This record gives sequence, C-alpha cells and structure tokens, in this order.
Amino acid sequence: MKKLKVPASGEAIADLQPGDMVELSGYIFTGRDAVLPKLVTCIQEGKLAKSGLDLQGSVIFHTAVSPAGIGPTSSNKVEIEGSIPVLSEAGVKIHLGKGALKPETVRALAENNAVYAVTPPVTALFGSRVDSVEVAAFPEEGMEALHLLKVHDFPAIIAAAHGRSIYD
Amino acid sequence: METITEKVRDTLVLAGSTFREDQKEAYRAAIAEETKEQARWTMEQILENACVAQENKRPLCDDTGIPHLILEMGHGRTLTGKMLEEIYEGVRQGLQALPGRPMAVKGDDTARIQQSEGLYEDPAMLAPAPLMLRSVSEDVIRLTVILQGGGPEIRAKTYRVFHRHSVDTVKDEIVSWAKAEVGNLGCTPCNLAVGIGRSHYEASSLMLQAMAESRFGQMTELEQYITDRVNEDGPGPLGLGGKTSVLSTFVKVGPQRASGVRIVCMRPCCCFEPRKASVILS
Repeated sequence: MKKLKVPASGEAIADLQPGDMVELSGYIFTGRDAVLPKLVTCIQEGKLAKSGLDLQGSVIFHTAVSPAGIGPTSSNKVEIEGSIPVLSEAGVKIHLGKGALKPETVRALAENNAVYAVTPPVTALFGSRVDSVEVAAFPEEGMEALHLLKVHDFPAIIAAAHGRSIYD
Repeated sequence: METITEKVRDTLVLAGSTFREDQKEAYRAAIAEETKEQARWTMEQILENACVAQENKRPLCDDTGIPHLILEMGHGRTLTGKMLEEIYEGVRQGLQALPGRPMAVKGDDTARIQQSEGLYEDPAMLAPAPLMLRSVSEDVIRLTVILQGGGPEIRAKTYRVFHRHSVDTVKDEIVSWAKAEVGNLGCTPCNLAVGIGRSHYEASSLMLQAMAESRFGQMTELEQYITDRVNEDGPGPLGLGGKTSVLSTFVKVGPQRASGVRIVCMRPCCCFEPRKASVILS
C-alpha cells in the first residue's frame, strides 16, 4: 500500500505503476458529466487563472457530492473521459473513477505524466475519511458542482500509468 | 409500540445501510478463495464499507436506489387504504433518514423524460415503484423493501427465449446475457437475479421476488451453473481480474406458458445488492 499526499508532485506520480494500491490524503476535487466540460471550456478560454482554481498536481474524483455521500461514476462516459486529456495537460495528475478507458486516453495520460485510478463505490467508507467539503466552482450545478474535499486514507488502485492499463 | 410508518422508515434505512450476515459470509468466502491481490483488496474494501455503513447507519452506496415494495398478506389479514398511505409515508421518512440521494425529477411528462427542469432537493420526493402484493400462508402482513440502483438497471434485460424444450437452452442464454453485461457493470462482484415467466411484467416481478427471497450460500444446481459459467472468464471485482465476477445467482421460476417461448428477466445486481430488509407490519 502506497501512501500519497495530494496534490502530488510529478516525481510521486512518475513512481506509480498500474496495479499499485494507494491511499490518498490531502485535498481532492470532485466533478462529473455536468461540470467537467465546463472546466475544460474554462481552461481552453484561458480563464482558469482568473477562476482561482489551482489544478497543479491535483486529483479529480468522478463523483457528485450528495447528502447520501460520494461514490465513483463510470469514467468512460463521453463528457468525463473527453475531459481527461485537457485536464491532464492543465496539471491534473490523478483522475479517479471506475471502468476502463480508451487506449487514446491512456496515451494522453502518459504524455502528461498523469494517471487514472479506480475505486469501488464504498460510500460509507469514503464518508468516514472525508474531513471537509466545500464548493470550489460552478455552484449552479448543485451536487454536481466542482467540490474540494479534504480527505485521509482514500483507497484507490492505479489502473493506467505510463501508457499501460490493467484493463489491457 | 412502533407505528407502521416508523417500521417502514427503519426498514428502508436498514435495507440501504446493512449487509445481512449471509451476505458478509459470501464476501468472506470469496476473499479467502481469491488469489489476485487487487481483486481481494476490492472485496475487502466492500466488506469494510458494509461495516462502516451499518455502524453509522449511512448509505452503502451514494446511489441509494429506487424503493421497491413487496407486501405479503396472510389469508385472514386485511389491507386498508390508510395502511397503504402509512407505508408510503414510511418510505418518505426513510428516504429522508437514510438519507437517499435527491433524484426525483421535476416537471411534466416531457420535462421528466428529458430532465429539463431539474431535481427535487428533498429525497422524500422519490416515488417508490408500484407495490407488489402477494398472498402467503403465514398469519402476517410482511413488507419487504428493496432498493434498486441505476447501474444494474442499465445492464438488465427482459426478453424472450425460444427454449426448444430444453432447460439448457434457457440457462445458456442467461449465461450469454450475463457475460455480455457483467463486464460493463463496473460495480462487481455482482449477483444475478433472474425471473422466468410468461410475460415481461411477470418475468420482472419474478426477478424482484428472487431478490426478496435471496440467501447467499444456498444456490440450486441451476444457479450454481450460471454463476460458475459467468465466472469462467469474467472481469473480476471492479474489472480488475480474479475469480469472482458473480458472487451468487438467484433464480425464480414462475408458471410457464404452453408455447415454445419463455420470458426471461436478468438483472446483474451490483456489489451491494440485493439491498433489502423485511418487517412484520402486523
């Protein structure tokens, strides 16, 4: 089990291999179908700096934040998987969700020294390891807004890194 | 003395937050058998999640599901409209207490289909599926609450099978459907719930009964065959490989039509399902 502080350094990410089991501690963003395309547009229009968001070394967990808790949605939905290359280029280092990604997405991750991790939908366990929750951007999306969570010992498995995927 | 509403509320919370002992034992057995480290780790996380959910009375999964209700009536028992309303009030209070994910869609027919007017913030606005009523020989009124998540609904299938006068044809078709869908489910290991009947409505009802009556560790020959075949080359827990794509299969066979066709409903239930609990109302 590797313990990883997040946001993470480029060196720490480069050390990760497909199949590694990790526990993440620190700050992570959440976002899914509704908000990730908006974040991509924000980056492409050069408005990220003005938004106050710092994506360097960050984690984005593909989930909503509802009163019931959090849990991974399928990362291979068009809006989510389509955001991964742009977000990786903008500094996101760990994309956390579930399900296999396309080979071209796995390649885009590698080109940006980013990884894809998966986690089971263990909502109660996640809830016991979330220390704080706040809306980071796009509040109009409600539970699908971009949230910032402080977490400890968040469980995940590295599914794609260095152009290789455990689903291959 | 607890009211019907209070009993239903607490039963819904129990269904959404608790693994039964036979369910925990099925995971322990699968973990002991599993040789792939990542697959074992995934099932350990699922089991730990169940312990935390039970202790904190919190949802097992953030998709808290659509409530499905099965009401069983003893022969001498009477059901009134007031009792039904008390049951539905219990569902509403249970969704608030769990809490359920707010996912009731606002608007008229068109708006609800295209989800153009947003969602209600109150979890209690989520209407349960139509209630199933059954007659039982016991002198009770028993309610079973089952919470049905969205992922399995995407992967479930109800369709006709031409049986060719052989049960092998039907079970191999079920295996074929399951193999096609289990890998796409994501939240594996799954449990296959199957109903075999005369119409699409009946097959779906039987599938729900199979979930209601399910007990891990008690598979019939037919259920074991389906489970073993799907596990031969299944995706494993979370698609990470390993021996356990399917923990168990639950099949309910109803009356059959005098014809060459059987209607089969197959639902690959997620790693937390069947999320169910029962209560004696009177």
